[in-house]
This record gives sequence, C-alpha cells and structure tokens, in this order.
Amino acid sequence: MTITDLTSMGEPQADVRAEINDRLKRLQHHASDYCYQCAKCTSGCEAHKLLELEPHKIVALLKRGHITELTNNDVIWTCMTCLKCRERCPQQVAPVEILFAAKNLAVQNGKELPGKYTAMLQSILGTGLLQEIQTVTTTTNATMTRDQLCLPPLSLPTDITKFQASIMAIAMQKP
Amino acid sequence: MNPHRYALFPGCLMPTEQYALELSVRATLPALGVELVDLPGLSCCGEPMKSVNQTLTLYLSARSLAIAEKNHLSFFAPCPQCHLALHETNIILQKNPAMMDRINDMLKTEDLHYTGTTKIVHTVDLLHDIIGLDAIKKHVKHPLTGMKLVVHYGCQTIRPKELGRPDDSENPQKVEEILKTLGADPITDYPQKLDCCGAPLLPNKPETALTKTGQKLQAIQDLGAAGVVDLCPWCHKMLDSRQSKAGETVAAKLDLPILYLTQLLGVAIGIDPTKLGLDLNLSPIHKLNLTGDKK
Repeated sequence: MTITDLTSMGEPQADVRAEINDRLKRLQHHASDYCYQCAKCTSGCEAHKLLELEPHKIVALLKRGHITELTNNDVIWTCMTCLKCRERCPQQVAPVEILFAAKNLAVQNGKELPGKYTAMLQSILGTGLLQEIQTVTTTTNATMTRDQLCLPPLSLPTDITKFQASIMAIAMQKP
Repeated sequence: MNPHRYALFPGCLMPTEQYALELSVRATLPALGVELVDLPGLSCCGEPMKSVNQTLTLYLSARSLAIAEKNHLSFFAPCPQCHLALHETNIILQKNPAMMDRINDMLKTEDLHYTGTTKIVHTVDLLHDIIGLDAIKKHVKHPLTGMKLVVHYGCQTIRPKELGRPDDSENPQKVEEILKTLGADPITDYPQKLDCCGAPLLPNKPETALTKTGQKLQAIQDLGAAGVVDLCPWCHKMLDSRQSKAGETVAAKLDLPILYLTQLLGVAIGIDPTKLGLDLNLSPIHKLNLTGDKK
C-alpha cells in the first residue's frame, strides 16, 4: 500500500483520533465559554482577504458542534497559519488551532490531502526532510548544490528504518 | 567552555535549498564568538505537517530535542518555523504527560529520551539579547551607512507571543536595532510590516501564495525602501527567489533587493562576501553595492 492510500484511505487510527477529538472538545468548550463573535480574527485574517476564510465563522461552527461541516469544508485548507487570529483574539480563543484540529480530523476521516502535502509526507518518511537537496542557480547562471558550496553533509536520521517505523505508527498504522 | 555554544538545527529548507542562509549563518556567527556544533541524526521539525497530523509534528520536534538533550546542548534554529515548532512542542508536552510518554515510547527504539530541557534560540534573540548590540558594534568594519532598509520578520518570528517568540508580536524592533548597530537607517514601521509572505500556502494554493508575496513587495517598493531584510528561509524563497513571478500577480515590475539578516551582518563585519552566498540571491542586490565595487 502506498503512503497516499495509507493517509487518505487508510484505516482510522484510534489513539490519534482520540487525541484530535480531545483537542477539539477542549477548543469547543473554550470557544463556547469565551467567543462573543466580535470577528476581530476575521478582520485581520490574511486568508480572508484573498481566499474568503472567515475564522469567526469557523469558531461559530465549532461552538454549535457542527464538526462534520467543519471537516468537509475545503476552506479550512486556506489558512495561512499567520497566527494573527491567535495573537489578537481578546478572549484567547485560537481559531488557527481549531483549523489545525479540523484539518487533522479531516485527514483521519479519509479526506485526500490537498496539493503537495502527500509528497512532503513521503519525503519526510523517506529521508527525514521535506525535500531532497536542490540545485540552485547563481546570478551568473551557474548551478550549485551543497557540496559545491562547501557545506557539510546533511544531518539525517542515522537509522532510517527505526525512524520510519515511528512515523508509520503515528501517521499511517492501522489500529 | 564557550557560553555561546549551540547545536545548529538546520531544518529542511535551509540545508536543501536556501544555501545563502546556511552559508551566512556559518560564516558570521563564529566571527562573533558563537560555536556551532553539527549534530548527526536530525530531521524535519514537523511544523509543515501540523495541518496533517499534529502528533507527527510533536514526535519530530521531540525527537530532535532529545538528540540535543543527549549531547547537552541548546539549539540554535535559524528558521522561525523550526524555532516555533521546537518551542511549542516543549510547551505542549509539558502540559500533556500522556503524549510525552507515548512519544518517549517511540523514541526508545532510537535510544533517545525527551524530557524537555533543551533551550532553543533564534538568530534575533541570539544577536540582540545574547551576544548584544555593543558586542556586535565592536565588530563592524564596513558600516551600512544610510541604507534605507525595511525588515520582514515573518509570522513565526513574532507570533504567538504566548509561545515565547524572539521579538514583540505587534511592534518588533530588534532587527531594526541590529541594523542601526550595523550603520543602516532602517524604516522602523510600515503598514504591511506584520503581514505574511504567503509561503504557507505553497503546498496547496501556490498562485495565491505568490499574490500575497506580490502585494507585500509592491507596498514595500512604493515605500521607497532600498531593500528588504528577512530571517526565514520560507519567506526568502518567496520574496527573493520568486520575486519576478510574484510581480506578475500584481502587474508590477518588482525590483527590490532581498537579503538575509546574516548576509548583511556578514558584509558589515567584514566577512569575505564570497562566503555569504551573495551570488545566490536572485533579487537585484547589486543595487545596494554591498561589495563596494564601484567605490
């Protein structure tokens, strides 16, 4: 089975799901007690200006317990994680954390990872890093890599099998 | 022993692509008395995976922190995203012993154990608070006299405040103070200063990410700044490497020099420019005449 299968269609992982549900529940309690929908989060939201994300509505959905509506809505993937909503909320509600939890749950529910997330996950699993060594171009149009720039070798997991086993246990293993 | 001895936490983007940051970090900090130690076995901090699986982020960060613990070293993380992930992992795991136990169970296979004692510093607090402006001033050989620069801090450098960021969330000034120490004349505030570069949207909305970059750079250009100083490899990838593409999204011809703080620091303290990766910046940094060719 490929990583894509495992992450997007794999069996649910009981403990990971339990942790996400706990986290969402805590966020829900806090939002229900404290959020009074002033929409300060939305007024400063970087993704609101370009992608119509409205964090105060995300909080409202959670307050009312509409978890499925949250996780099924692709707008949760437009958050730029600029963290302004968390910083500026007068009630210490953190819409960005609600979005992280909603995205985590969507993935657990079998939602296909958008864009390059699968490739990034595959790369971390394969080497420990988000991407392999890239060749870069200089201002004089020469191409260079780490070695040519006399940079030391990359620091990477020494025993990749053990490293992979742990990642599989968290992100991909069946219960 | 050197009090400024740190294990370098390279992260992903710096060692695989943003070589100018790594070159300038490795060239400038030792000149200021910092000893950087390369630890084997490190990996991604996990921050870019937080949207997919937060437990994975916690595991990856805790794993690296455990390696630093084993070596009795603090981390120096030049990437603000890594700095935030490592720091937040410490905070989350201290509050969640069950999760810490679970992660330690997995770390056992690699003979590692996480307790959360590793300190993490970033370029900004290392230079401004730990080494200090007075010490930096003594090293300045080629002051950046009159250079009208603006600083792009990047989101994770300053937010969220409650997670111990290197500078203030609403009015960060430490980098401007460092630049003044280097002789420059930074524009200390501008309306878009706290805005995002757009990079976090690269994985799934690359076009919008570029628009975000274009909008911010256009505003800075209209401000009349001579150049932009940044800190984060993700931001630099957007502001520098993708500047011309970002310009297309806002129908503007962008022509702004973009430099890492450590590159400018290196120039000012007289490090050989070839060791600062200046030829890797794709933005027009020649406009700043940093190497003094025409003088």
